[in-house]
Amino acid sequence: MGPGIIDVFKEYYPIFLKGAVGTLKFAAIAVGLGSILGTLIGFIHLSKNKVVSGAAGLYSTIIRGTPLLVQMYIAYYFIPMAIPALSFLSKEQCVMMSLILNSSAYVSEIIRGGIASVDIGQTEAARSLGMSAGHTMTRIVLPQALKAILPSLGNEYVSMIKETSLAGSFAMYELTFTKTLLANKYLIWQPLFIIAAIYLVMTVVLSGLIRIFERRLSAGDKH
Amino acid sequence: MTNTDSEVLIKVVDLHKSFGDLDVLKGVNTEIHKGEVVSLMGPSGGGKSTFLRCLNLLEKPEKGSVFFEGEDITKIKKQKDLDKIRQKIGMVFQQFNVFPHLTALENITITMTLEKKIPQAEADKIAMDLLEKVGIPDKAGEYPGKLSGGQKQRLAIVRAMAMEPDVMLFDEPTSALDPEMVKEVLTVIKQLADSGMTCVIVTHEMGFIKEVSDRILFIDEGIILEQGTPDEIFNNPKSDRVKDFLGKVLY
Repeated sequence: MGPGIIDVFKEYYPIFLKGAVGTLKFAAIAVGLGSILGTLIGFIHLSKNKVVSGAAGLYSTIIRGTPLLVQMYIAYYFIPMAIPALSFLSKEQCVMMSLILNSSAYVSEIIRGGIASVDIGQTEAARSLGMSAGHTMTRIVLPQALKAILPSLGNEYVSMIKETSLAGSFAMYELTFTKTLLANKYLIWQPLFIIAAIYLVMTVVLSGLIRIFERRLSAGDKH
Repeated sequence: MTNTDSEVLIKVVDLHKSFGDLDVLKGVNTEIHKGEVVSLMGPSGGGKSTFLRCLNLLEKPEKGSVFFEGEDITKIKKQKDLDKIRQKIGMVFQQFNVFPHLTALENITITMTLEKKIPQAEADKIAMDLLEKVGIPDKAGEYPGKLSGGQKQRLAIVRAMAMEPDVMLFDEPTSALDPEMVKEVLTVIKQLADSGMTCVIVTHEMGFIKEVSDRILFIDEGIILEQGTPDEIFNNPKSDRVKDFLGKVLY
């Protein structure tokens, strides 16, 4: 069996911590840039132009309907080969890109859903008062949509923390990859539980923060 | 009291509107005069609300024209110009549609400050005066979630009034209210009508229609089937359809 879990953690905790930091970094970049791209795609999806809107919908359907691991393989092996213009991307950037694109598809649905959740009557009332389309969106619809959007974005971040474990399959330094590093030292099973525990701590803490945030949001809820 | 001799505020010519295969309006023609109170009566699905929503182009008619103060607003291309027109056409909705994330006062002032560039302090004062008029000045700082249905609807009415409209459109303003709140809202509408505001009202409150209207349009199957004064419609309806309708709704 070898040494116990606690002994392994005591001896190698810097490796695990570095992995955890890598995981948080991957997740933050993926959700951060994914949110910007996803917001754009979400708004495009809401466009009245059926072709443009359909394209955005197709994008999110394809990305959300296929496994992230497969998308990563495509980004890692196929894209640099098929598109020479993108060959300047490092392997890490390729994996990062697939995480960002993946996140953007989920975020676009969150944005679209959040905006669609605001009663159409709100828009009609604002427009009937003579408020411009732009002000109606920024001052009436978006502030109400944010209530639905922000907690979902938080949940997306929690999911993404777990999803980034797939990046370890491409030798990216994140939490799951530490098992590969320690396998060299004949530590096979102990790291798995340590890794799982750290993921659990991260997701539980983050979910807790989101819940606090959500409560604040609904404390300010004036409905 | 009839105001049919006064200047024409809204003129509707051959208005058609359909949703998919469903033809909701099939050629509506009428004129609404300044200061006139016009009520729309008729069965549900007959086109009353759609007609009302065409007057400020919340629905875009497929065919026909809506002249507002002489201008055919269906021909307006620039969104900004249409926004300006809509400021002069107040609308009150069945579901109130007050802004839940803004206080009562902000509900009134937001469009004034954003679109009419009225300074905040001045807008606040106008808004307070309006809240005073409808009896809820103490609710100025409250969010709509804390207001009753009747208070929300009164807020929605003065929110529209704050834009100084030339006409007010009411789309079943009391249909979503608890019964004991209907009167407070109708009272406000009555006061508006008495003050000379041009009003177009869709409602099922027959007693109110009878009392407040200068003219009633009976709309069914997308056309104005019959029109006249309350006395003519209620006491001497010409068509069997109107007789039948009144026979069913009046107890």
